[in-house]
Amino acid sequence: MATSVVMPALEMAQETGTVVSWLKQEGDPVAKGEPLLEIETDKATVEVEANADGVLAGVTAGEGAEVPVGQTIAWIVAPGEEPPAEEAAMATGRAMSTAPAEAASSPEPAAPRPATASRRGKISPKARRLAAEHGVDLDDVQGTGPDGAITGDDVLAAARSAGEATASAPPPSAVARLMAERTTESWTRAPHFFLVREVDAGALDAHREALKPAIQNRHGVKLTHTDLLVALAARVLARHPKMNASWEGQGIRANESINVGVAMAVEDGVVAAVVPDADTAGLGDVAVRRRDMAERARAGRLLPSDVAGGTFTISNLGMYGIDAFTAIIVPPQAGILAVGKIADRVVPVDGRPGVRPMMTVTLSSDHRVVDGAQAAAFLNDLAEAIGDPGAHGLATND
Amino acid sequence: MSMPETETAVRQLTLGDAIREALAEEMRRDPRVLILGEDIAEAGTVFKVLTGLVDEFGPDRVLDTPISEPGFTGIAVGAAMTGLRPVVDIMFGDFIGLTMDQMVNQAAKIHYMSGGKWKVPMVMRTTMGATRRSAAQHSQSLHAWFCHVPGLKVVLPSTPHDAKGLMKSAIRDENPVAFFEDKMMYKLKGPVPEDDYTIPLGAADVKREGEDITIVATSSMVQVALGAAARLADGGISAEVVDPRTLWPLDETTILESVRKTSRAIVMDEGYGRYGVMAEIASVIAEQAFFDLEAPVKRIGAMHVPIPFSPPLEDATVPTEQTVCEAAEAMCG
Repeated sequence: MATSVVMPALEMAQETGTVVSWLKQEGDPVAKGEPLLEIETDKATVEVEANADGVLAGVTAGEGAEVPVGQTIAWIVAPGEEPPAEEAAMATGRAMSTAPAEAASSPEPAAPRPATASRRGKISPKARRLAAEHGVDLDDVQGTGPDGAITGDDVLAAARSAGEATASAPPPSAVARLMAERTTESWTRAPHFFLVREVDAGALDAHREALKPAIQNRHGVKLTHTDLLVALAARVLARHPKMNASWEGQGIRANESINVGVAMAVEDGVVAAVVPDADTAGLGDVAVRRRDMAERARAGRLLPSDVAGGTFTISNLGMYGIDAFTAIIVPPQAGILAVGKIADRVVPVDGRPGVRPMMTVTLSSDHRVVDGAQAAAFLNDLAEAIGDPGAHGLATND
Repeated sequence: MSMPETETAVRQLTLGDAIREALAEEMRRDPRVLILGEDIAEAGTVFKVLTGLVDEFGPDRVLDTPISEPGFTGIAVGAAMTGLRPVVDIMFGDFIGLTMDQMVNQAAKIHYMSGGKWKVPMVMRTTMGATRRSAAQHSQSLHAWFCHVPGLKVVLPSTPHDAKGLMKSAIRDENPVAFFEDKMMYKLKGPVPEDDYTIPLGAADVKREGEDITIVATSSMVQVALGAAARLADGGISAEVVDPRTLWPLDETTILESVRKTSRAIVMDEGYGRYGVMAEIASVIAEQAFFDLEAPVKRIGAMHVPIPFSPPLEDATVPTEQTVCEAAEAMCG
């Protein structure tokens, strides 16, 4: 019996999904639970598993197709079985299952399809590549090369005359599109203000060195400065609920849990992967969670749930050698902490010049939710916590 | 007010004189360099390229040998292995068949088979090129034979300037190098600096920039390609001429950059097209720049026949500017 494969809904508000790639081809045997295809929502790329044993057939959504949630995009059938006909008829003219029958019953061998292929003359390899890149149908291109061959210039001219100013740029991925929308929304709607603090990271360094072996042993991960900052910021946020609140259209909404997002670079943008309940999570758990998400982010395998529900975000560009920077708030959050690199600087130590590992942190805040004094109080407490992590709930036996 | 141009005129030398200058400078610089071959001392070679060298360096370093290419090539391999830097003169490239065991089985292999303990820093100078009315046994361009063998470097200069710099690099190279001079270019004049300059082996040179089609050409075919490019420009086709200068090592990067820019390629060489230098360069382009091509790569080389003695027939076997222009016009459409 044929089982339909439908575009799944991975999150509440999702209306459509895009097929990134089919991991199985039509005619391939598939086993229930095997990865079948990759789809992309506006938040993440996920693999969809086969929901039955059988043979993949009747694929109606090709790679790149954007399909409403719930629509049938393929069938899993028994070997030799045809996918249900009415679904095949809805496909974009492929009608694979009916073609052989037609050919058998039709007395004349004439091709049922218009002879577009034979109308075409020569097409250069460059023209074929450019046509694929620009989405130009070669049937619509007039060749001007030797013997009427279609050249790359002909394809580019066709792409231009198609009136698509953006024809030369491939459509952005969901991540890139979302990043563009969210940052524009935040930067234009949320009144940002910025507070800068230079902190001595000596104690943070020492704390990390002290905890590293135990966490490596118990959790199998390398503790990073970011992990410590996530845990510290969450614990300080518990005492500053306004900094952990959100602007919701007409007013401020307090958030019950403290979920700290960590900005992570992915292939064509940035996402904030969330450590939930970071104020109560142990350091080891924070480190494990962050590393797991970082690895999946690199592989393009973050789940929608990984990037949902953040209440505050930390962006650390220290590893890129950045001294200090300002970050754009992730809406609807109230704040984001931009962390620069730890560098040896000459600073006054007990009234004399001394060399200390210094770090500049910059807090971006949404003035609709917090005012300068409230944000300053939070940043001040955070600076103190960074100066003495042991006294702020990050015990070495964590 | 107009000022007379301060012309820092670079000397004009013939290609033959440029090669002689390179050899003389290297012999003065390094006492281990010597030349051996047939009729090279008093006669200064049949092409008069080495005239005068024996007077400066004496018969011990400019050594006339018996007519035995296998013998003196073998001597040179041994001399190179034991510390000298010999330059072997093989009068006609047609004779390299006689030296094949020394070059292919000895010179090219010894560094490898000794685990790097031995090296063979020698240069074989020889000639190529037709239209000298020398018939089938003295007119061939057989450089592709050496290109096929790992362990040998192969150099084909196209101008006096390149000939001097490449010859000096070839002599200083720690590996056996085959250096092919087109005998029809010995009288070609061009600017040659007096400085002690070298041109690295493995660096192509864009001899003329263009937008519409790339002509990859070697040795005297570079001159033909430049002539064709000038004519094509009159007809509105902008041709780029790329001279690999060394066939091994081959500067694929420069060739591919040019082809990716122009999307069309002609490959020219005076050797035979079948299984030859052009075939190799054409496949480099096809393998790595296929999706940048507007047209199939075109090979233009010697006609696949023994070189005829009859002058009109001989001329017909060699590519001309006309051949190149017709091919380029057909490809650009």
